[in-house]
Amino acid sequence: MSVKQISLENHRALASVDGLKSQTSHFTRARADIAEGVRLYWLWSRLAYHDIKMRYRGSLIGPFWLTLSTAIMAAMMGVLYSKLFNTDVRTYLPYVTIGLIVWQFISTTVNESCLTFVAVSAEVQQVRLPFSSHVFRLVYRNLLVLCHNVVILFVVLVIFPPTLILEQLTLIPAMAVLIANAAWLACLLGMLGARYRDLPPIISNFLQVLFFVTPIFWRPESLGRYLVMARYNPLHAAIDIIRSPLLGVAPDVASWPIMLAMTLVGCVVTFAVFARLRGRIAYWV
Amino acid sequence: MSFLRLRNVSIHFPIYQGGSRSLKKAIMASTSRGNLARDAAERIVVRALDGVDLDIESGDRLALIGPNGSSKSTLLKTLAGIYEPTSGDLYSEGRISALLDSSVGMNPDATGRENIYLRGMFMGIHPSDMTKYIEEISAFTELGHYLDMPVRTYSAGMRISLSFGISTCTSPDILLMDEWLAAGDAHFLEKAQARLESLFRTSSLMVLASHSLPLLERWCNRAILMYQGHIMAQGTVRDVWSEYKQTFAAPETPDKQTASSQ
Repeated sequence: MSVKQISLENHRALASVDGLKSQTSHFTRARADIAEGVRLYWLWSRLAYHDIKMRYRGSLIGPFWLTLSTAIMAAMMGVLYSKLFNTDVRTYLPYVTIGLIVWQFISTTVNESCLTFVAVSAEVQQVRLPFSSHVFRLVYRNLLVLCHNVVILFVVLVIFPPTLILEQLTLIPAMAVLIANAAWLACLLGMLGARYRDLPPIISNFLQVLFFVTPIFWRPESLGRYLVMARYNPLHAAIDIIRSPLLGVAPDVASWPIMLAMTLVGCVVTFAVFARLRGRIAYWV
Repeated sequence: MSFLRLRNVSIHFPIYQGGSRSLKKAIMASTSRGNLARDAAERIVVRALDGVDLDIESGDRLALIGPNGSSKSTLLKTLAGIYEPTSGDLYSEGRISALLDSSVGMNPDATGRENIYLRGMFMGIHPSDMTKYIEEISAFTELGHYLDMPVRTYSAGMRISLSFGISTCTSPDILLMDEWLAAGDAHFLEKAQARLESLFRTSSLMVLASHSLPLLERWCNRAILMYQGHIMAQGTVRDVWSEYKQTFAAPETPDKQTASSQ
């Protein structure tokens, strides 16, 4: 069970094609798929840009609609909950805003992940593209949307400037970790979502609950002796490694270890599943 | 030097009906025994290709002949590398271009010009390389100012003309074609034939699925007859076509009857 693509350059070296049979395994083909996907960055980056352009064609402010809705949500919650929780709006508003922006990136990425391959079924069935390119396209598209939301972040940080600390340098690896997790989720959920069509509603229900369970508009400290509930929530860890440095405080001690473990385990498991199921995706979508 | 070689290739489509597409039922089935398990696992497998051996070498102009549902398109998609064989091996060399569907990579809300770049990208052509084909595609399609209008405002004929113009702007080593040229007026068909002929001359091998004998006789030098996922006959276009007519043309054949009663 193998599809062997032989490049023109290698042709002369191949006296007997059938001799190659034993060399292709699931894993080598999955690796080749990912390598080819990376090489096609010019394709999926443009397609991602095109996706956003198409989604907002005919609208005046385009993807800044999302920025606007996030801004309104953050402003309302920031003011309302600072009264409800009786906290200082100057520290609470930036806390909520950053939490919401990161949450929005995570939740839209995960929601769309169920349809990584289903949404592009026509392309999967008509053109031979590496499956990884669809994953990269989805992640890149959501990163572009995130960039539109960063405008709000700048506004908030200018109004309420945080103290400068060394931890702010960890924002770069934190984004890298976030992207890596988005990629394996988009791939794994994309395969499951192609096979099991009731995955999108299951996932979106879960996310709705998780929004309230995760410390986004409330602080983990307010849990008191139940702090562990927030601390070992991977979604909190994901938000925390971005939010805390931006607010000028160190992230929770558990956040980085959780995120690194999740990245490692997620990537390894997804690669194994991807290698096993890659050939079936075209049949499922 | 291009080739496509199939060794005992099978393509089995699982048909997921209702329950077997459900994650909830799959989990229930794995945790409970008996009725539920049977329900969730109940699925039909369609054998679209069954142990196909086929060698297509440089210089071959292969015609795929067969009644509807005889897996001609599946074979083309397998050759294009879209479906990974369920079992068996596929070896290919050469840049493949598959003209299978006229609508792929076409976005109805984007303009004709944007679609040229878009579809070009799916063919593996970088947008900066695509620019040099714009002029020529524009001339071929005769779309004029329509090129800057959204594709959804186009007529069916204009759409086909555009996607055909884009798909055929470069010449690949291996050309795989499903018959989708049926739409379009006589003027378009004439232009399309001229364009395809120059494409055939430069590509080193070609596979064409069609129901039109004149088309196949003109362009192909070899033919296979497909039926129920098997290759029933191989030979010259004329021989295979007469075999096809004998087997399937008479309306009283038992195959036709069972097909129509389903």
